[in-house]
Amino acid sequence: MTASPAPTQATESGSFVANPNLTRIRDVIYQAAGIFHPNHKLRFLEDRCGRRMKELGVANLRDYVDCLTVKPSHQAELVALLNETTVGETYFYRNEPQLEALRKVILPKIVEAKANLPLRRLRIWSAGCSTGEEPYTLALILLEESKGLLEGWSFDIQATDLNERSIAHAKRGVYGEYSTRNIPPQIREKYFVEEQGELSVGTLARSRVTIQRLNLLDDSRMTFMKGVDIIFCCNVLIYFDAASKSRVIQHFHTNLLPHGYLFLGHAESLFGINDAFHLIHLPSTTAYGKGAHANGRKRLP
Amino acid sequence: MTGLSREQIFRKLETVDTMPSIPATLEPLLRYLSLPVDQLETQKVVDLISHDKSLTVQCLHLANSPLFCRWHAVDSLRGAVVALGLGRMKEVALACSFMKMLPTQIGGIDPVIFWEHSLGCALVARHLSRKLNLPCADKAYLAGLLHDFGIIANVVTLPKEFGEALILARSREIPLHEAELEVMGVTHAESGGILAARWKLAPELIAVITHHHTPEQAPDHRALVALVSIADLLCRMRNLGYGYAERRLVDLLEEKAFTVLVEECTTLAEFDWARLTFELDNYMFEVHKLVAALYRIQ
Repeated sequence: MTASPAPTQATESGSFVANPNLTRIRDVIYQAAGIFHPNHKLRFLEDRCGRRMKELGVANLRDYVDCLTVKPSHQAELVALLNETTVGETYFYRNEPQLEALRKVILPKIVEAKANLPLRRLRIWSAGCSTGEEPYTLALILLEESKGLLEGWSFDIQATDLNERSIAHAKRGVYGEYSTRNIPPQIREKYFVEEQGELSVGTLARSRVTIQRLNLLDDSRMTFMKGVDIIFCCNVLIYFDAASKSRVIQHFHTNLLPHGYLFLGHAESLFGINDAFHLIHLPSTTAYGKGAHANGRKRLP
Repeated sequence: MTGLSREQIFRKLETVDTMPSIPATLEPLLRYLSLPVDQLETQKVVDLISHDKSLTVQCLHLANSPLFCRWHAVDSLRGAVVALGLGRMKEVALACSFMKMLPTQIGGIDPVIFWEHSLGCALVARHLSRKLNLPCADKAYLAGLLHDFGIIANVVTLPKEFGEALILARSREIPLHEAELEVMGVTHAESGGILAARWKLAPELIAVITHHHTPEQAPDHRALVALVSIADLLCRMRNLGYGYAERRLVDLLEEKAFTVLVEECTTLAEFDWARLTFELDNYMFEVHKLVAALYRIQ
């Protein structure tokens, strides 16, 4: 939709019409961090810009656009805004369409691609695993498939993060109500143990997850993460500058097996960062494919 | 498979007289709107629209929807016609005719879902054609809106078989046209082409309706056909389909429609498909709301 020269307001019909300064900020964030805020998230974005403006003593959005683009400290300000918009929250079964696409489309594709290999083994890497909810969720999904699609397959989840405290939390594997609220009751029953009002990940899931500290910009250590079928790297790259992001993505590309897939966060894009991966559409979500398709790739002119 | 052969189905589609036709109240309006835009008079259009109550209310809803980029409340029919523009009135009138002919149950598809898919596809086709600077941009909206015309033809001529195809598509989570082929041997694209010819729709609309699942076979209007084909696919992959999610992976580079579009559009290489996909979420809310409003007045 074309941006309208109108103030941010609710129209008669209750719809949201975006302030052009706000859509400009959306574009700045998308270009710098690759994360897109659709119209229904603009109110939220406006609210978070408001917090930053209050902190900086900036009177209006027009001036705040300058803080993000032309002022000497614009890069630091962008990080500060990103910190406001991407609340460091994570929880089990967070991105449902992504997890459904993994279960229903991607896992069958990989099983098919590896059908003729002697070793029936899957490896998933949760890069930037934060406090561990994502890798454990992945382990739970694969465990649930082990009586069906993945019968006779072994798998492991490699989980890495830069932050020592997050790593410690992930290793402890004990979670409160907030982060466990989306876990289906039968999964909760089957794979968790109650511990003083909190839920502790049981050994079945724990044994599938290896947690270690890793800096994604550490080139020498990144080369050891080879032979991966799927990488999840959600809301991590948004904090990287273009050159670092490109370096990390190149490592992901090298480390993935030829049929491999890369999942990013919701509304996170690689556009302009890397041409080797190509966008694929899955039901209500997207991912990136490494590109070794059986029927041959058609490259754009 | 149905007991009828493809030829028998085609003959039925060409001759059946229960096939929906253009509503009588809208025919004079549509005839008038086929004149060149610069010969149209606003007052005459307003008068012709006012004969049809539901079209009048639809015009007001559309004129007040942010999907059509209006910022000020419009409260008269004349205001709505001016706001929407005379050039767009044919789209609106055809859309209204299209809605009036929808049975209350489309072989198991809730008409609201069917209409949301059509409107979603129209908006995505328009958005994409503008982003790609395609010469067919002015035709994209209507072509997107009417691309599934053939579903109505199938519902009317083969209601039982179409219902079965839909059940099959849902249970196997496969595209509807694949299930239609399996059950009936004919897709809604083929039957839509026949109905569109009976309605004497414009040649580019007939091309889109007939070939949106086989864009590589379109003899002409190839860019428009490919554009709508991609818009349709993106809508179906982004939860604006026929009420179920297709269990599949789509790589646009491997789609036939994309190959056709590459031939027709030179700026495709630099296009940010990820962003376009995220932008589709912008439409969801407005599409649901607008369709709900339009359906209440039927």
